Amino acid sequence: MKWSQFFNTSIGKKLLVGATGLFLCSFVLVHLVGNLQLLKNDRGEAFNAYAAFMGHNGLIQFIAWGLKIVILLHAFVAIQLTFSNRAARPVKYAVNPGNQTSSWFSRQMAIMGSILFIFIVIHLAQFWAKFHYGDMPTQTYEGMAQPLKDLYAVTYDAFQHGWVVIIYVISMIALSFHLIHGFKSACQTFGLNHKKYNGLINFIGVWIFGIAIPIGFAIIPVFIFFQ
Amino acid sequence: MEHYNMNLTLKVWRQKNKNDQGGFETIPAKNISSEMSFLEMFDVVNEGLISEGKEPIAFDHDCREGICGACSMHINGRAHGPWAGTTTCQLHMRAFKDGDTITVEPWRAGAFPVVKDLVVDRSAFDRIIEAGGYISINTGNAQDANNIPVDKHKADLAFAAAACIGCGACVAACKNSSAMLFVSAKVSQLALLPQGHPEKDSRALNMVAQMDKEGFGSCTNTGACEAECPKEISLTNIARLNRQFIGAGFSSEK
Ligand code: HEM
Ligand code: SF4
Ligand code: FES
Repeated sequence: MKWSQFFNTSIGKKLLVGATGLFLCSFVLVHLVGNLQLLKNDRGEAFNAYAAFMGHNGLIQFIAWGLKIVILLHAFVAIQLTFSNRAARPVKYAVNPGNQTSSWFSRQMAIMGSILFIFIVIHLAQFWAKFHYGDMPTQTYEGMAQPLKDLYAVTYDAFQHGWVVIIYVISMIALSFHLIHGFKSACQTFGLNHKKYNGLINFIGVWIFGIAIPIGFAIIPVFIFFQ
Repeated sequence: MEHYNMNLTLKVWRQKNKNDQGGFETIPAKNISSEMSFLEMFDVVNEGLISEGKEPIAFDHDCREGICGACSMHINGRAHGPWAGTTTCQLHMRAFKDGDTITVEPWRAGAFPVVKDLVVDRSAFDRIIEAGGYISINTGNAQDANNIPVDKHKADLAFAAAACIGCGACVAACKNSSAMLFVSAKVSQLALLPQGHPEKDSRALNMVAQMDKEGFGSCTNTGACEAECPKEISLTNIARLNRQFIGAGFSSEK
């Protein structure tokens, strides 16, 4: 089987979704750690220095562009699979089992993913596009030769609006629901299903990626709004 | 358990043939004993229909002891009805109460076209088996015991996978109509034993290719198949199939 054929099989496509999904999980973790600096009460010194470093480091910029391709690939293949899976049952059942045979989260992947996709577009337009291509305020800190682009101030401005905060919180609920099933599911797709490790996989998937990380993200806009 | 009789209302899918649109028909089922199997209840209902000069309900069945996998039907939204680890022929009417309405539908999957009423064509499974679900040499007579050592644990796993009866409940229960549980059981049962192991790579590649060709959906790991499988085939088999498919994809030379 050639690679082109391999990645055209149902399992091959699942592997693409799983691999890109796990890459996105690792990104989400790093992104949260960086963003938590927004909660520091330092007029944005740490966060803006971090943003400047991330925005200029060649390797990180390379990964950042790769990330956009990964998101598109993940969404494209996942949605393609979703449609072909729907088409595999041309006549639907009159009565469905609901949550009796599968978890609710596992059946909402495409919907939660689509919410995330819309969110990612809004989020990139709001911060990434502005940071790189828009008009940015600057801020000078003690002991620094050059002023830094003040992404910290842009963020604090954005989250003064209640509706922006609500969009962010809803999107993080979608992230939570997507990853509660997504992380475990990706492990199974890669063939990792073993008595000794299933407890750990479940813990990481549900509690770390599904609950702790989305809450961590959601705290930021809520905290800023109530500042 | 107390034996009781009940009157039920059946909402059964009726469809004359492959090309007919089909639709639900409401049929009363009177004086049904709690000790009957679901299929025996259908027998009684069909006797009634025949005596009224009506067309009996077509449904698939053969062994009526839970080993052939023929008795496919979706009962109140559940493949083979509400009991776990049971085929329809092993489902007893004590699962229902007097006055219940029971909705019975055929397996729904593009790859399992309805032939008539509740009967579907499951020959897509046969074609998947033909694509590699066998050992392509004659393995000869039974060897002396212990001539080919087999790890007890692997033998148990192979035996558990070999319990699959090809009933199609996994496909019927899956929101994607995926046949992964069936294919993984067939692949595992052979790959875990010495006779089947040499061909494991080509088997995984060919059976999955055929599975896709038949129009089954892909697996999203919801676990509905495992929950509905009458033989309680484990999802660990799907993980094994994924591992073998990945390995075979990396190493295949064609
Ligand atoms: C931060 C963003 C995202 C992360 C971390 C993420 C993560 C994941 C993971 C780990 C999986 C499981 C893969 C597997 O089952 O093998 C997955 C599956 C999936 N993702 Fe995402 N995803 C993200 C965004 C998206 C977006 C934007 C979409 C769609 C527009 C999407 C749609 C899907 C779908 C449809 C599946 C397959 C569903 C299933 O296996 O049941 N995801 N995602
Ligand atoms: S895996 Fe289970 S549900 Fe699927 S065909 Fe085999 S016995 Fe039936
Ligand atoms: S009739 Fe054979 S399994 Fe039910």
